[in-house]
Amino acid sequence: MLFLAKAALGLGATAALAGVYVFHEGVIRVDVDENCANGSHVHVWVPATAVPIGLRVVPFHNLQKAAAQARPFLPALREMAKELNKYPNAELVDVRDPDQHVRVSVHDGKVYVDAVTDTENVHVSVPVQTLEDVADRLEDAAPGV
Amino acid sequence: MSLSSRGVLGLSASLLLAGCAFLPLPATAQTNSKSDQWIHVRVENKDNNGETVRVNVPIEMAEKILPVINHDNLHNGKIHIDNAHLDDVDCRALLDAVRSAKDGEYVTVQSNENNVRVAKSGGYLYIHVNEKQPGERSAKHAESGKTETVKESKVEIKVPMKVVDALFSAGKDELDIVAALHALSLNGDTELVTVKDDQDTVHVWIDSKNISD
Repeated sequence: MLFLAKAALGLGATAALAGVYVFHEGVIRVDVDENCANGSHVHVWVPATAVPIGLRVVPFHNLQKAAAQARPFLPALREMAKELNKYPNAELVDVRDPDQHVRVSVHDGKVYVDAVTDTENVHVSVPVQTLEDVADRLEDAAPGV
Repeated sequence: MSLSSRGVLGLSASLLLAGCAFLPLPATAQTNSKSDQWIHVRVENKDNNGETVRVNVPIEMAEKILPVINHDNLHNGKIHIDNAHLDDVDCRALLDAVRSAKDGEYVTVQSNENNVRVAKSGGYLYIHVNEKQPGERSAKHAESGKTETVKESKVEIKVPMKVVDALFSAGKDELDIVAALHALSLNGDTELVTVKDDQDTVHVWIDSKNISD
């Protein structure tokens, strides 16, 4: 009985620590709702930690190809992510008319892109740190391109 | 300590650790000091049922990002001007002359269609253009014999001379945008551009707020 309790405690603590690690960078969230009959509703929540880990396991030649295509934008993406860390709460872009509202903002270290139209609602949030990690990893994959 | 107490303690510790994962990131990144300057652009269009565009960008961020964008004429934060001698007018020499001249009204044009004023005062360059265009003559006007409507647009530009200096500090045929942004950030709160006409209002200004009003 004592052994089982200790095992459960160890397992619980390990699971908790794993949870802390997985979620320490936050969550990438994508919500898409189409406001029509039979419209699709997509809701995806992914731990931000999964992205850099995923980039580590992607075959290198595939990563190189993607990095080469994205190369012109990577320095700007990396600098933007670095700078956004200094501005954890800000509204960057807001476009509003009677039919749609698009907003790009930063809140608590996450970039939010919200687009609300008559036909669909799209909400995306990505931790700034994840953007920086992705830019760094892709630049590593295509040095000097 | 009994086994059940240990279990409760372990469970509590585990929950506490898991809870930490959902706390916001540490506030170490919150360095938004009052000296940070933001450039704001607000465009309001009365057509299209009142479209409004608001853009707020930290100047420091723009200063860092612009040098890494190399596209068309923009390289290393500088814009290359292919033909600086526009229609045989050396714009650079003209601005050099304005820069070194004393404060005063340089250009004043007053006519039925346009009022133009270019002046330098208190370290700022002012460009004001007031344009009046005859609008469409409506059927109602035609019946009543009234004069046709007049469309009026007003442009007011106010640029610190230090920014002009910085803008032209690069080599010949180049505008140093990054240097100009840096000079703007040091200048403090400034109204830069206001454009008003019957349909659109454009407002560009700099202050230390991270949101437009």
